[in-house]
Amino acid sequence: MIDAAKIKKDFPLLNQKMNGQPLVYLDSAATSQKPQAVIDAIKDFYERHNANIHRGIYRLSEEATELYEGAREKVQKFIRAKETKEIIFTRGTTESINLVAYSWGRQNIEKGDEIIVTEMEHHSNLIPWQLLAKEKEAVLKFIPIDDEGRLKITKLDSLLNKKTRLLAITHVSNVLGVVNPLKEIITKAHSNGTRVLVDGAQAVPHLSVDVSELDCDFYAFSGHKMLGPTGIGVLHGKRELLEAMPPFMGGGEMIKEVTKEGATWNELPTKFEAGTMPIAQVVSLGTAIDYLNGIGMENIWQHEQMLIAYALEKVTAIPGVKIYGPLKPKDKGGVLSFNIGEIHPHDIASIFDEEGIAIRAGHHCAQVLHRRLGIPATVRASFYLYTDQSDIDKLIGAIKKAKQLLL
Amino acid sequence: MNTSDIYREEIIDHSKHPRNFGKIAKPDVRYKEKNPLCGDEIELFVKLDSHKKVKAVAFNGAGCVISRASASLFTEAIKGKSVRELEQLSAKDALECLGLSELTPTRQKCALLVLETLKRGLKKYQQKTK
Repeated sequence: MIDAAKIKKDFPLLNQKMNGQPLVYLDSAATSQKPQAVIDAIKDFYERHNANIHRGIYRLSEEATELYEGAREKVQKFIRAKETKEIIFTRGTTESINLVAYSWGRQNIEKGDEIIVTEMEHHSNLIPWQLLAKEKEAVLKFIPIDDEGRLKITKLDSLLNKKTRLLAITHVSNVLGVVNPLKEIITKAHSNGTRVLVDGAQAVPHLSVDVSELDCDFYAFSGHKMLGPTGIGVLHGKRELLEAMPPFMGGGEMIKEVTKEGATWNELPTKFEAGTMPIAQVVSLGTAIDYLNGIGMENIWQHEQMLIAYALEKVTAIPGVKIYGPLKPKDKGGVLSFNIGEIHPHDIASIFDEEGIAIRAGHHCAQVLHRRLGIPATVRASFYLYTDQSDIDKLIGAIKKAKQLLL
Repeated sequence: MNTSDIYREEIIDHSKHPRNFGKIAKPDVRYKEKNPLCGDEIELFVKLDSHKKVKAVAFNGAGCVISRASASLFTEAIKGKSVRELEQLSAKDALECLGLSELTPTRQKCALLVLETLKRGLKKYQQKTK
């Protein structure tokens, strides 16, 4: 079991006051806080190892390269990818998905082809496909959700046909917290000859992910939601697919040989890492992975299960609060989206802020989902390994205060 | 725990019982504006008299407490003002009207939606009457 109070001490930002109150940070689905070890790793890189990677012959550059490539190996092991060549560093989940849309998508999607997404996608896993579909005159289809926010998997069979080239789906919903049954979905898609891209932004930080076992074709996630710095993300892709894909961005490092007439591309993964990468961020993402491994992903998942069960029990007991997503903690991550009567989510967020509680109000970059739920916005509290029961008790107190003031 | 800096009695009163809430038939200025961040929406109606001063004003739409209270107080304040005076109203004026100096930049956008709606409506009105 996790001792969240002890873990909190590793996160300097969490030990401060906000509006005169101890900070209660419940917006980890937007971005996680950083442990001292990660902050130190960034500082340490610039104080002792900073040099550009790969090309330098001198010792310092070799060291920086070793640290950079060492972090790639940590990522590979963390998500159980087959080899480091399959790990591409990007700016974040959004860039990872766009890379696939531009590179693989433009090469493989033709007029009349079909792409399947779901009604619960974050805009980062919807807009790139909308753009691609428009450009190629392809068709975008949606797997619907039921009223509890679960995918209607049975509808998948009728959506898949011989024109379906790609299925792009989130692993865990950033609004509903639902964990999608990927294994079943991927098996179905593959037996139809359809490739699968998974948006893992809300999954990798919270549960043990095994891309080899999932057998997905592409898997995208961000560093900053898993204790790492901003500006760094990962695209995992199957080697044979990545090898067949044209580059996404052109520039230094991604080439093998350049003449006036053209160029040949570097080997994986460098083919997709044009220009100087955010080296310190990659290295400190490695440190974040070390930290998570030290706690254990299974322990983190269990801890969040305990928190969401506790929060669901307490919040459902308050009359007038409507919760979106499954009401049973099983198969649900540490994300709680709700509304209080007719109170506008922005007003709720302001009242919570006065109590030092950071939550998110709005459509959470999922307007299609909110339209399906029939509401413009929700309030979202999201948990992580440093969240404890007292944070949730404060959340309950603030919900009651908002009701008293505004209902 | 139960006091609030922002949500004081006057604000909540104007939000729950907004003044000038509704519509006006044959308005001189009519404009609908949306805050894409939160989906707040205001439709504003202004009727001018022969001296081009605000004779009547109304608004409707869905929004948060801040945007509603702001629209209620703001529409109260602009009655009798000339088009020229309306055009010169600033964000500072609108926030003073609401009496909330402690709003964060994000929440200021909620408060200023009514002003933005008026400004765009006036522009449309000026183009029409040119």
